[in-house]
Parts: sequence; structure tokens; C-alpha cells
Amino acid sequence: MTNILMKEIKKDPDLRQYTLNNLPLLETLKARYEATQTAVCIERAKYITEYMKNPKDPDEPMELTRARAVNHYLSSREPIFHNENLIAGSSTSKEVGAPVYPELLGISIWPELDTISTRKTNPQLLTEEEAETLNFDVFPFWMDRTILEATRKKLMDEKSPTLQSLKLMEKIAFFMAGKTTVISHTTPFYETVLEKGLNAMIEEAQQKENELGPDEHEKKPFYQAMQIAMQGIINYAQNLSKKAAELAAQASSNGKMKYFQEMADICARVPARPAESFREAINSLWLCHVGVLAENVNMATNPGRLDQVLYPYFKKDMELNKITVEEALNLLGCLWFKISDNTNLVPESAEKMFGGAGSVPAVTLGGITKEGKDAVNDLTYLMLKVTELLPIKDPNVNARYHYKINDKAYMDRVSRVIIRTAAIPATYNDIVNIATLENQGVSTEHARDYAVIGCVELGSAGREYASTSSILLNLSAAMDMTLYNGKRPYITGDLQIGPQTGEPEDLKTFEAFQTAFETQLKALVEMAIDLNEELGRMHQRLLPTPLLSCFFEGPLEKGKDLIFGGALYNSSGVTHVAFADVCDSLNAIEDAVYRNKKVTLAQMKEAVEKNFEGYENLHAYVKNKAPKYGTDDSDESHPIAVKNSQRLIRFLYDLYQSHTNYRGGKYRPAYWTMTNHAGLGKIGHALPSGRKAYEVFSSGITPASQCAKDLTGAYKSVAELGSEFIPGGVALNMKYTPETSVSENGSYLKHFTNMAEGYFKSGGMQVQYNIQTYETLEDARKHPEKYPQMIVRVSGYSAYFKDLNDAMKHELITRTQYDLETGKAVPYSGTDKGGEE
Amino acid sequence: MNAILNIFRKFSLKRTIKKIIKRIETELLDDFLELLLKVIRLVLCVDRKYRRNIKDFNARYAFRSQDGEIAASAIFKNNKMKVKKDEIPDTNVTVIFKDGKALWEFLMAPDPDVFAFVLENKLSYEGNLNYLMKFGYMAKHLKVMFGM
Repeated sequence: MTNILMKEIKKDPDLRQYTLNNLPLLETLKARYEATQTAVCIERAKYITEYMKNPKDPDEPMELTRARAVNHYLSSREPIFHNENLIAGSSTSKEVGAPVYPELLGISIWPELDTISTRKTNPQLLTEEEAETLNFDVFPFWMDRTILEATRKKLMDEKSPTLQSLKLMEKIAFFMAGKTTVISHTTPFYETVLEKGLNAMIEEAQQKENELGPDEHEKKPFYQAMQIAMQGIINYAQNLSKKAAELAAQASSNGKMKYFQEMADICARVPARPAESFREAINSLWLCHVGVLAENVNMATNPGRLDQVLYPYFKKDMELNKITVEEALNLLGCLWFKISDNTNLVPESAEKMFGGAGSVPAVTLGGITKEGKDAVNDLTYLMLKVTELLPIKDPNVNARYHYKINDKAYMDRVSRVIIRTAAIPATYNDIVNIATLENQGVSTEHARDYAVIGCVELGSAGREYASTSSILLNLSAAMDMTLYNGKRPYITGDLQIGPQTGEPEDLKTFEAFQTAFETQLKALVEMAIDLNEELGRMHQRLLPTPLLSCFFEGPLEKGKDLIFGGALYNSSGVTHVAFADVCDSLNAIEDAVYRNKKVTLAQMKEAVEKNFEGYENLHAYVKNKAPKYGTDDSDESHPIAVKNSQRLIRFLYDLYQSHTNYRGGKYRPAYWTMTNHAGLGKIGHALPSGRKAYEVFSSGITPASQCAKDLTGAYKSVAELGSEFIPGGVALNMKYTPETSVSENGSYLKHFTNMAEGYFKSGGMQVQYNIQTYETLEDARKHPEKYPQMIVRVSGYSAYFKDLNDAMKHELITRTQYDLETGKAVPYSGTDKGGEE
Repeated sequence: MNAILNIFRKFSLKRTIKKIIKRIETELLDDFLELLLKVIRLVLCVDRKYRRNIKDFNARYAFRSQDGEIAASAIFKNNKMKVKKDEIPDTNVTVIFKDGKALWEFLMAPDPDVFAFVLENKLSYEGNLNYLMKFGYMAKHLKVMFGM
């Protein structure tokens, strides 16, 4: 480590002398960022479509066509310098842009081309001319060529039973298939390009191509595609360099001339050649990331462990006195703004359901190295400082913690950043997460080098093509299907979706009910998996990813694209909505129907059907007396809550792990929900848990709001689910009362850190926080103008509270607030109903 | 002189279409789908820019209520649009509405929202969703053009 700086950090890990006041560049960029409205960027859509309409050779393999299309876009892009940021290049043509990926679901904004700029929910600017380009030149080409429609046509032509799964998916309320919208959700690996440069990587691909044996011809197009795609990034950097040189020549001041000349020099060197300074390394990494986004949707495509990847360059510059702490903070702040320069394109209807999300690029800090040593370094602290100074929604910052190896001072510093930003970063338990990945067959060295993917998912950076958002499954659908003998009348009428497992009167014991529930769940999961497999094969046919493959270990060695299984490790992630609601429904049925015989199952079904109208006593019982997930088994009255939640976790783990995906990897269950628990809750009928119709579901793996009254019990219940059964990752969302003047003696921080460490020692994987009261959040809902930049953790990522939909705001307001001093839930006495103000 | 005539024609057309749409809003639900499709056809005939939407666009759309009481179809071929009173086969997309009210709400709402209608079981479709997206744009653009 760099001794000079570490002394400063040891003395003051908060680096309090650095503020936005003495970092004017960051202050300027922040003001500008906050004032900039998101705009739709059509540049990528225009150039990709232009190439695809007129490809060089319509008969050549698709990986070559895709590589040429990406190269065409990157080489044709307008080189723009939007502001004084020290890093060149941008992911879109707009200062903050929402790029259009028409080959996936970009086309879904078609009906609102005239109104997207002025819509009420999160408007995104689009000029009339741009709208016309999309309407007349771009979207018509893709009408029959999107992944969804190409898959539908194939299934219809084949009269495949999977068509039924696709129709169910389009109902949204059963499961969603991520591959219709994204190809990403993974973390590439930029160490190699920083060290060697793209020229050398192109040479390596060329050498591999030249060395192919006579029976390996099928690999040739892939190696060629890698070279073509990487050259696209170099072309983009060269164009930026030329433009910067022109701007330097025209500059009106020495300062501007110097700025542009430096940009011209940097882009002329990297990423083509190895990075030789910290600034070059950051620029090189960013330009490669821009390249990756040119090919892959800007959703959960993650920069990775930046404090590890960039550290050698920072260290070298510090040792040579080539950089100051202030300059390093400026560069890192600039990188944070670059990573935030794009957001996802969302049609209005999806905004209503799932609004407020960004592109969720995850940055991972701290933890341990591949060799098992303390990975916390000077950059970790500088990145925490930047996160504290710039609490913006992206990047999604995550802090790993190994309580046996990392210094406690590091965790204290992480806690202080969370307390000060009231939300960021999320924290991860290295010990169990590494063991969980090892249990999935990842080598110890590679497991130790895991980075967070998107919201909370785990994957060895640049080695694991985890495709973590393959499926989002609504567990409450299986509960409905159990009560209705395989149907879900209020969504799909009389259609028999799952097997007939019996009418309520046939299910004489709880064991029979649970078996029926698991049978319905299995049927649903298998339908979702069938569809994911079809979509995956369509990705292989239409959307190879030669450029992303360049930044992974495996594809170059195997001569195989990532989406054909080129990575060292392959898996598909399935996340679940309504975990706590379904556990509590099982608990309520076991307790109220079978144990205490308050009602029959038929009566419970009727109560649910009538939204508990006329069943007020039953509703009061299941809400207040029945066992709840999140209360631990030390409570004599609630031993079944632990049993049912653990059984569900294990059942799903066994079920998913028995399936192998189209890339040869396993399916991994996860429990994070973004804002889907709010959106799906708003269309879901009542449940036996006592959750009434259209109320939001619980978030992630979190106990249902207002159910777990004891903080330690809640943590223990989650931790004891067993991380080895949740290899996809979890989002545990905790809300704490902010520090009061009474606790300013440091006890708040002590409680905060101890609680997290206790949870980790019990086996917890991840936890994220909102340090807010019910009242503050209610006020923010009523008076958004008073809280324009209020950052909250949703269920995996950060968002501005004002951007969230009403259901999600309601969920955050009513989410259980715990008092750290007492360890007890603060009762909610507000009146928020989740409707529009 | 031609320019003045064009302005006058456009003004007259706008008034006529507004009148028709006013009638659509007040007439019986059963007829308004066909009438609306005819309005689209009329605007396609007289507005060159709007007509660009169907240049080289070959597609077949059917719309019907679940009970089959209401049905109409649109065929786009050879840069022209044909409207039929009943449901046609071999469509790119068939849009099925719960009832006349749902259909009216979908087509006449200021912000017709495909996904919200699907979620509420007011609308389902068979076939290619992107064709519905394009139709959604054309219908909505008409409203923007005529300030509705």
C-alpha cells in the first residue's frame, strides 16, 4: 500500500479536509448533473439499424454481423465533450441519455414517441426529428426481428407448448423473462486491457485465429468478430482524440487548450495501448465500458471491483508523486459521473409499474483479494469518500466485508458513509458469499474475486457469465394456483395453468397443502425455465456478444462467445417476488386452518377471494396472531415460521439446481425485487397471510413490513435461511431511525456496525439500509420539492425517492423502521395508503 | 394560392375530423371502432406526412370484443388502408377487448396503455406485439395532430 496516503487515512479515514468546496470541479459537475434532464438517445439505434439493413455480407455468421454493426456504430459516433469531465467519451450522445436498443424492447416506446418528453412520470426528452427517425427508419425494421417476436414466431411455427409460457409471461403477473429486455447482467474484467491495451488483445485474437487447426474452422468467425469489435472501440477513441485536438486548437483560454490537449493525448494512447497512469487507466476502462454498452443493454453491466482494478496505476502515480489526493478524488468523481451518464429507456406503463430504476452499474469495494489477503486499499477509502460526497443513484456502490481479515476501522468507515448518505453503500459478507460461490463450483481464488452484479447478485468478475436476471418469478402466483386447483381465475380466467392438485376440501392436512403448493410452484418454475431456454437460444442466433466476450476469461481460450458458454463459469439467475408474503401465507394456513382450526381451507379461500370482507376476525387473527417470517424460533408461539421459510428456500434451491441452462450452467435462485414487489403487489389479489388485494408485496428477502418487531430476530431469521441455498444473492432491506442528538457519543455507529457484524456472523449475505423515519418519507412524498435529491435503497439499487411510483413510495414509507438503540420496531402510526397525492 | 388552399383544406379537414371524433365519443360503442379506423383511413388519404406511416407497410390487424359482438379489421397493403366490418384471418396481430367499454377506453383515452390494459384483463392479443405498438403510435399521433 502507499504509505504516504495510508498515514493520512489512518489519521482520518473520513478524509474530512476534502469537501466539495475544495473540489470545485466535482461541485460544478454535480450541479450540472442535477440540472440535466434525461434524454432519449437514438444514435446507437440509428447506426446499428443502418448497418443491419445493409450488412456487408448477409450470409456471414451472426457474430461477424453483430461485430461489424457495433464497429460501425462506434466508428460513426459523434465525438462529444459535454462538460469539463476529465474522462473522455460517453455512453450516449446526450449528457444523460437513455439509449434505444431496438433489437430487444426499445421498440416499446413507439406509441409514446409524441409524448415521452412531456409524460408525467420520469419524462425523457426526444426531439420531433429523433421521433421521426425512430418511427420511419428504425422501428419498422425491427418489427419482426426483436428477440421476443422472433421467439414467438419460432414457437408458433413449431406449435411448441412453450408458447403457453410466453403468453403467461406477457401477463406479467406470473413471471417475467429478462432475455426479452436485456442480454447483460454481468461483470466484465478490465484488468487485461489496462495492462496490455486493445492492440495487443486484437493481436492475441488474430494469433488464435491463425493457429486454428483444420477441424476448428467454426471458431474462425468468432476470433474475427472479436478483432472487429475491439477495433470499433479504438476507432471511437481515435475520433475523440482528433476532436479534442481540434477543440484545443480553437480554445479560447490556456486552461481549455490544456484540457483538450490532454484529452487528445490520452485518447490517442488508450485503450489501444497499455495505461501508464491512473488517469489513463480510468479513461481506458471507461472507453471499454462504453464499447460494451454499444453491444449490450445498459442494464446491470457492471464496472466491477474498481478499487482493485485501478489500484496499481494509482499506487504507481502516488509513489512517483505524479498525483495528489485531490487529483485522485477529482478523477474518481469524474468516473462516478461518467458511470451515471446513462439510464434505461422505460415506456410509461413500465414506469408506473417499475419506475425509478437507473441502469444499476455496480461498483464493488473492499473485501479480500484472490489470494485471501485484505483487499482494502487507499482507493477503497477514496472511493468511499467520493460516494459520500456524491450520493447519486448510480453507480450502485457495494462494500464487501470480511470480518476476520478486514480492519474494523474499514467497516466503521463504511457505516459512517451509509449513515451520512442515509442509503449507500450496501454491505456484503465475504465469508458466506465466497463459500456460497465455492459451493457452486467456483474455485476459491475466483470466488474470492467476486463482484456484485446489478442489484445484489454475485459472480466472479470477468469469469462468470451469470445472466442473473433471467427470470423474475412471482411466488404468490403459485399460492393462488394452489387455492384454485391449478388456475388463477382473476388473471387468466378458467385456463388450467398448473396441474390439478385438488380443491381445498381435498387437502386434508397441511402436508398435503404444502405438497400441492410445491407442485404448482414446480410447474410454474419449469414453464419459466422452458421459456428462458428458448430465449437463450434465440440470443445465440441473433445476438452474439463478441465484444463483451473480449473482457472475460474463457472465450478467447475456447474460441466461443459468452452466450454459447464461452465463460469459465455459466449460470442463470432467477429472482423471486413475494417471498415473505408466501411464507406468511403458508404459516397462516398451517396455523389457522390445520393447527388451530379457526377456519377450513375452503373458508380461507373464500376469505381471500372476498378480500377478507365478512372475515374481519380471521383477518385480524392471521395478521396479528399467526406466525410470521422474520420472528425467530425462540418465540414459543412461532416455531413454524422458521420451518416454512427454510423449507421454501431449500425446495427452490433443489428445483433450480436440477436444471442445466443452454450454456451448460446451473440455475441459481435469488431474492431481490428491485421495484417489482410494489408493481406486482398492485395487481395481486389478497393472500392468506392477511395481505389485502393490491397491497405491495414484501421486498427482496425482507420480512413483510410491520411483522418482525424485533431487529435481532429479523436478522437471525434471514441469516438462518442458509446462504448456500441462495447462490443468486439477496436484498435485505432495513430501515433505521436516524441518529439523534442523544446518541451522538458514538453509540449509534457502534450499534450500527455491531448489528451488521452480528448478522454476518450468523450467516447473513447482504444488507442495505435506509436511514429515514416514516415521517420524513411521508413528508418527502407530500413535498417532493423539499427533497429533490433524497436517495433511497429500493430492493437492490439506489433511486431518487421522487422518481419512484406511488406504490414503491408507499412500500418505503411503511417498511418497518427499527430503533437501533432499543432494537425494536417503531410502530407505524401514519396514514399513507399509496395513492396519488 | 395553392398554399392558401392547402391551409384551408387542412383547416376544414381538422374541423371535420374533430366532429367525427366528437360523434365517436357520444355514439353507441358498437360502431365507433369501425368509425375510428375510417378516420385513420381518411387522414391517411389526405395527409402526406401521416401517409408515410404506411409506406411499404403490409399488415393485417383485427380487433374484436371477447363476445365477438364488436369486430373490425384493418388491412394495410400497397400504401393504402382498407377497413372491414368483421374479423379477418391471417393477421399480424389480433386484439381482443373484454368489451366495448374497454375498447372505447383504450382507443379514446389520452394515454392508452397497452400493459395496464393487459394487466387488468381488459385487453389481450394474439400475434406480434410490435404491430400493436405501431398502431398505438398511429392512433396516438392522430390525437396529437388534431389537438385532442
